[in-house]
Amino acid sequence: MRAGPPNGSRAFVNHFMVYALVAICTSASIGLGTVWMRHQISVAANENKVLEAAVADLDRRIEETDAAIAAEQDPAVLNRRNTDWNLGLVAPVETQVRRISEDPVLRLASLHNRKLFGEVPATVSLQVALAH
Amino acid sequence: MSKGFTTTYRIALLASAILAMFAGVEARLVWLHVIDRDALLRSVGEARRQLTVDTARRGDIVDAHGALLATSRSIIVLGVDPQFTRPEDRPKWPRLAELIGLPLPVLQKAFLTKIRPEAPKGENRAGPDKPMLITLAQPGTPPAEAAPATVAAAGDAAAKDDTELDEPDELNNRPIRWAKLSDQVPESVYADVTKLNVRGVYGRRLYRRDYPHNEMAAHIIGFVDGHEKPMAGMEHYADFYLRGENGWLESEKDGKSRELAQFRTREVPAVDGFNVTLSIDATVQHMVEDELAKVAAQYEPQKATIIVSDPLTGFVLALANYPSFDLNTYNKLTKDEQRWMRNVALADEYEPGSVFKIVAVSGALNEGLVTTQTEFDCTLEKIDYNGLTRNLPREDASDHFDHPLSVAEIVAHSSNKGAAQLAMRLGDQRFYDYARAFGFGQHTGFPVGGEVLGNLKPPAKWDSLTITRMPMGQSVTATALQMQQAMGVIASGGVLLRPQVIRQIRDAQGELVYKFDRIEERRVISQQTADTMARLLTEVVSPEGNAVQAAIPGFNVAGKTGTAQKLLPVILSNGTTVMRYSDKHHVASFVGFFPASHPQVAIAVIIDDADARCPTGVAFGNAVAAPVFKRLGERLIPYLDIRPTIQNDAAPALALGDTR
Repeated sequence: MRAGPPNGSRAFVNHFMVYALVAICTSASIGLGTVWMRHQISVAANENKVLEAAVADLDRRIEETDAAIAAEQDPAVLNRRNTDWNLGLVAPVETQVRRISEDPVLRLASLHNRKLFGEVPATVSLQVALAH
Repeated sequence: MSKGFTTTYRIALLASAILAMFAGVEARLVWLHVIDRDALLRSVGEARRQLTVDTARRGDIVDAHGALLATSRSIIVLGVDPQFTRPEDRPKWPRLAELIGLPLPVLQKAFLTKIRPEAPKGENRAGPDKPMLITLAQPGTPPAEAAPATVAAAGDAAAKDDTELDEPDELNNRPIRWAKLSDQVPESVYADVTKLNVRGVYGRRLYRRDYPHNEMAAHIIGFVDGHEKPMAGMEHYADFYLRGENGWLESEKDGKSRELAQFRTREVPAVDGFNVTLSIDATVQHMVEDELAKVAAQYEPQKATIIVSDPLTGFVLALANYPSFDLNTYNKLTKDEQRWMRNVALADEYEPGSVFKIVAVSGALNEGLVTTQTEFDCTLEKIDYNGLTRNLPREDASDHFDHPLSVAEIVAHSSNKGAAQLAMRLGDQRFYDYARAFGFGQHTGFPVGGEVLGNLKPPAKWDSLTITRMPMGQSVTATALQMQQAMGVIASGGVLLRPQVIRQIRDAQGELVYKFDRIEERRVISQQTADTMARLLTEVVSPEGNAVQAAIPGFNVAGKTGTAQKLLPVILSNGTTVMRYSDKHHVASFVGFFPASHPQVAIAVIIDDADARCPTGVAFGNAVAAPVFKRLGERLIPYLDIRPTIQNDAAPALALGDTR
């Protein structure tokens, strides 16, 4: 049997069905996209939260460590360690101090060098290779 | 073209079905969004909305070199919800008990006690009875912490109550939903506890104030209570800078009370408190406290104070009192021991004794009434003044002067009669004005310590003996800090400087917010008079003076001793009580500075009632306080790099090495 041309109502329905399917697909895509986007927002927000928590945790650890260091640097504690470990460290007294005006590093280097080489200038020997 | 798959019947059916579905959905939507909207939103809001307070961190108090004196660190209040424990975790309990330092039986009891009988009516109940609309937690709290079965009321609520209870059941028993195991779990230990993964055990994070140096500078730093409420000292005075401002964030939570970060709607970050930098130097403070400990061990005084300051700026480098207390355990002091918290350097007044003679001598010199060589007869018993004959005070038993004393000798030998005659030269009003100008009878403006005024009566209230007694430091009272401030007038070249202890305010990132500078209250005496006074005061510690014990080899030390009899109640034979000067109880002091020509450090040593352990039975300032000044000064010289002013011929040993 040969199909005749679709009458007006059938054509409209066919078009309607196609458009409806397209609309459904489009809205479904938009819906899915929205859901995916919101999920991504959620993931990003949670990652941010975790990072914030990690930073806050690090800050807390640093504060705890700072407090522990400060407690260990308490002069009373240092004195106790000095005694416990037999370090024999004592504070300098005025009679031990020689006040100098020049750079102490250079002064100490000079002292060291003089001990090493003595007051007499050192003789320098060089090995020279002569090319033939 | 094909006919298509549809028929009229099918189309109608399909269209009807679609329409019916849409109509159904729309009807439901209208119902939910229009008719039931308010009720649903209210319900969702109550169930899902959450307001989290972001607790601001209290700022640090640091010394002049940045060493922490007071800091806030987070600790964990660890507890267990006995309703959530599981038997398979039982083997982990011993390890948990070991980690948090709790006896195993106590821990077991906390885990196994699941209910508490209903408390009788009228008894305060903890837990859900309290309205708890705001959840307090640190930002970024791990889900394990943020999802307790009970309402997470961190911080103070946890500190207040060891347990939280649920509503009573039909047998009137209240299920325990949170029992505290420890309130001192450090972050590092809590990490290990979390790794153990014992179900039902969770912690609440809160900031707790920590004083790493314990007793050091306790009276300056002060403390906060368990709820971070400032109670004393710098913590109280600088609370405005230190406390910071809490932030908050509004968001939603899921069924397990975990925050849904994507629904954060408003977020106000916390602003951490500012850091306060003090002028206190922890090393100098330690030296001072060390010396006080030695004084306490040697003399067992009733109390003692040492103050070290920079005389050119007025900034206090160290201030310590004996007895003192540990800032970390202040709440364990007994009622009797709580008096140790008193900052006696500012809150207690005493008669300053001979140190006060600097007022009469400075005044007379500044007014040009005398020179250093003007002589006075210091053997007189009585003297006419303003038409009346007045009795002059006695000299110390060891002092008998067979010749008139010059002003310089009056200072060097601390003559009472000489000081009285100098004050008479000035006259009542001018002497009083000078005493006021030196800072007596008024607040120094020091920010902590509950400062008292001291007692300096105006001439209208004086009796006939006051003009002879006040110049030697009787009939007047002052605080230790006022004495230090008065001596600072001479050290600073004649200017009264306000004693200060805060150097800088910095924000949490270390940026400078405010810087405090030297504050001149007024000029008291001229620079020339101050220089003359400094020179006269160096004679006090010379071999001819009365306080050679304070002399530091290589340095010109200027200072003045004080030995003040204490005014104590005496019960007479007729039963009445009168106040009398005691021969057995004294306040010994030495206040001075060095080097005299360019002062770098001023030290006040005040020791109250050290007589009992003194070989002579009297705690003289030169015997008790002056040696402390010397010892402390010698320790400060290398640390503060104070250069000697007197060239010593003897070659010193070397600390840096001899290059000769």
